[in-house]
Amino acid sequence: MNLRILIFLTLLTSTFLLGQGTKPQGLDPKALTLFHQPADTWPTYNGDYSGRRFSDLNQVNQTNIAQLKVAWTYKITGIGSLRGIGNPVIKSTPLMVNGVLYFTIPDHVFAVDARTGKEIWRFDFEDHGGHLLGQRGVGMYGNWIYFLTPDGWFISLDSKTGKERWRKKVADEKLQYFTTMSAVIVKNHVLIGVGGDAMDVRGYLEARDPETGEQQWRWWSEPLKMGDPGSETWPNQASMDHGGGMTWLPGTYDPDLNLIFWGTGNTNPVFAGQGRKGANLYTDAIVALNPDTGKLVWYFQASPHDTHDWDNVETPVLFDMVIDGKPRKLLAQAARCGYFFVLDRTNGKALVSKPFVGTANWSKGIDQRGQPIPDPGKEPKVDGSMVDLPINGATNWPPPSYSPLTNLFYVNASEGYGVAYLYDTSPEPEGYAGGGSGTFDPRSSLMALDVTTGNIKWKHVAKGEGSEGGGISGGILTTAGNLLFTGDSNRLAAFSPADGAILWSQPLNARVSNGPSTWTLDNQQHIVVAAGDTLYSLALNRK
Amino acid sequence: MSKTSTILLSATSLLCLAAALCHISLKPVLAHAQEPDQQTPTRTAPTRNPHDFLGLGRAPDIAAAKLGEPLYKENCATCHGPTARGAQGPNLVRSVLVLHDEKGEEIGPVIKNGRPQGGMPAFTSLKDAQIYNIAEYIHLQVELAANRGLYAHSNTMTSGDTEKGKTFFAANCATCHSVTGDLATIGARYPQPAAMLARIAWPSTPGPRQAIVTTHSGEKLTGTLIHFDDFETTLRTDAGATSTWPTPTVNVDIPDKLAGHRALLPKYTDDDLHNLTRYLMTLK
Repeated sequence: MNLRILIFLTLLTSTFLLGQGTKPQGLDPKALTLFHQPADTWPTYNGDYSGRRFSDLNQVNQTNIAQLKVAWTYKITGIGSLRGIGNPVIKSTPLMVNGVLYFTIPDHVFAVDARTGKEIWRFDFEDHGGHLLGQRGVGMYGNWIYFLTPDGWFISLDSKTGKERWRKKVADEKLQYFTTMSAVIVKNHVLIGVGGDAMDVRGYLEARDPETGEQQWRWWSEPLKMGDPGSETWPNQASMDHGGGMTWLPGTYDPDLNLIFWGTGNTNPVFAGQGRKGANLYTDAIVALNPDTGKLVWYFQASPHDTHDWDNVETPVLFDMVIDGKPRKLLAQAARCGYFFVLDRTNGKALVSKPFVGTANWSKGIDQRGQPIPDPGKEPKVDGSMVDLPINGATNWPPPSYSPLTNLFYVNASEGYGVAYLYDTSPEPEGYAGGGSGTFDPRSSLMALDVTTGNIKWKHVAKGEGSEGGGISGGILTTAGNLLFTGDSNRLAAFSPADGAILWSQPLNARVSNGPSTWTLDNQQHIVVAAGDTLYSLALNRK
Repeated sequence: MSKTSTILLSATSLLCLAAALCHISLKPVLAHAQEPDQQTPTRTAPTRNPHDFLGLGRAPDIAAAKLGEPLYKENCATCHGPTARGAQGPNLVRSVLVLHDEKGEEIGPVIKNGRPQGGMPAFTSLKDAQIYNIAEYIHLQVELAANRGLYAHSNTMTSGDTEKGKTFFAANCATCHSVTGDLATIGARYPQPAAMLARIAWPSTPGPRQAIVTTHSGEKLTGTLIHFDDFETTLRTDAGATSTWPTPTVNVDIPDKLAGHRALLPKYTDDDLHNLTRYLMTLK
């Protein structure tokens, strides 16, 4: 065939094919808001900057939930088993911009037509190391997509084609850093955090330029040198240099205060505290930073001198509320250490510090600032020390939700008891240096917490355990349709946010593995959720 | 030297570790940490290699490391410490150069040429194969720190009092258990302290539970729970018939065999658990 005709035919075919589907277009920066993102967009990991995961959409509501049906599914094929992990599991929350969904698993990005579930493009990356534990999703700025790989590459893609624009190395996988985060875009800053606590390295958070990928600033999770503020909470320089504090989940942002709020992960060495006596700032904390400079404005430490691997990265959720007649700018976090915190987000002062799982018997109460005081007697021991939390903590990365309609904070929690062991008794331990064992009297719960008191308003303990099939899973979405969506057993379930009654459920092929999200296209509200290797879109069947 | 490093240094434990690196036989430690994965549980749990799971790169050459151990001890340990964690010389386990080394290409030249400015002499008499073996020994020390799948509970206790355990047992356990009856040989069955402690705290038996299902019409069926969640209940009766109901339409009564253990969980001090563990381990 004549080459010109071939090119002509190829162009014709591709134009035809593109014309049939949705053309990816850029993200309007106006879609990035503190509250109330546009109905036809899910522009960032949490939907809006607040992390509430509350949607104003109410087309799907308590009166018609029975008609909510699966509209389409997208199953990941042709990728196979992930190194050391097994089958692909979608943990990312898909962005939805101009009719296209963008989501990820480790090493792979998918662009899928939000109306049909048909794949538009896929980006496949071959890593050279790193931990394939999870991938939270992409960030978007105009036409550009940002993606982080297990071996610390920060990659920009063209959202129209999935073609790589550039890549920058942001973390060293040889030092056991790995990157899983969904980048958060604040003004002209792409904010990215890192994971990795197998070796003892410093956590950090970076801002990068959206056009060039060059670093704008880096904030370290520990003071840089002895004498700096916070260094008094470490015994020496080496312990700070190896102190951990990974920043592996997306934070939140208040444009009016111009502050980003970020959780920092567990301290290193993980289960052994004898080489790092002190509170170990700013690990296991919520920090408020200026997004233009990376400078610390305030901090609140959730788990001072952590010796239990209680990453404090759970979403710091922002909400406004009138308390005692005064409008307040607040921040709430259900922390892995078992405490629920409500803070004034202008200054970090605590309004509520209260255990929501167990009695927090690892702590001796709270200090004047509302921060828990760790009990040295409950640090890991060679013969074991039991805490009234499961050894993996009270909750983890699956996103919680706050509904302004109920003023309740919703979290999926694990209850029970665990035992922490110290293995490395040397004065300067390394790595994990210990571990957890046992989950005694385990319960999987969906909880609704009163943000003014920290009291549990209601709690749903899932029936069934282990091989029987029960258990709450994934993240939480609340909507103005008076609905709360989360995973229960192998289903997506809708609960009544007011009292926890189960209103509806849809069987899936696996447990819910991400945070559900929602948006409207063509006047049709969709609920999108992942279970294992499959993405599901649900909408009302109005036939 | 700490007990842990003593354990990690012995030649026999190196062999055990070699076995573990191949077969992953040591089990008590949780391999995940940042987050639990969300694989739907299957009845046959997949065997996951923690080294691969953690993305630790190339696994050290255990045979070479074993050959390298005496060479390391002779030439390096004085300055870098017995397990390469540093002494007057730098810590090698946390060394960026070591962590970037694949197969001795970074470590080798340093050993050969030394670092005169830092006070490290050149080891000119070491042959290439010996240097490789030393490098693998250092890589093994990194692996022992970074790969928590290789960690193991201690086989000996450092605390606990048998007599106090006996007293606690008499006061709290003896109404259901007997040290001459059901627990007469418990110490032989759980010789490892952490396993014994877990058995004391929460002796749940894996696998399906027994239940009595009362249906809407009042019929009572006894059998094994094949499936049970907030939505569906499937019971196989002792006669072999299987029935499924929507969970909200039936009453599922699961005899709570662990009520006594559940009631004790909030009451135990760590000393109570250690004393009980000590005491029950004497019953063989």
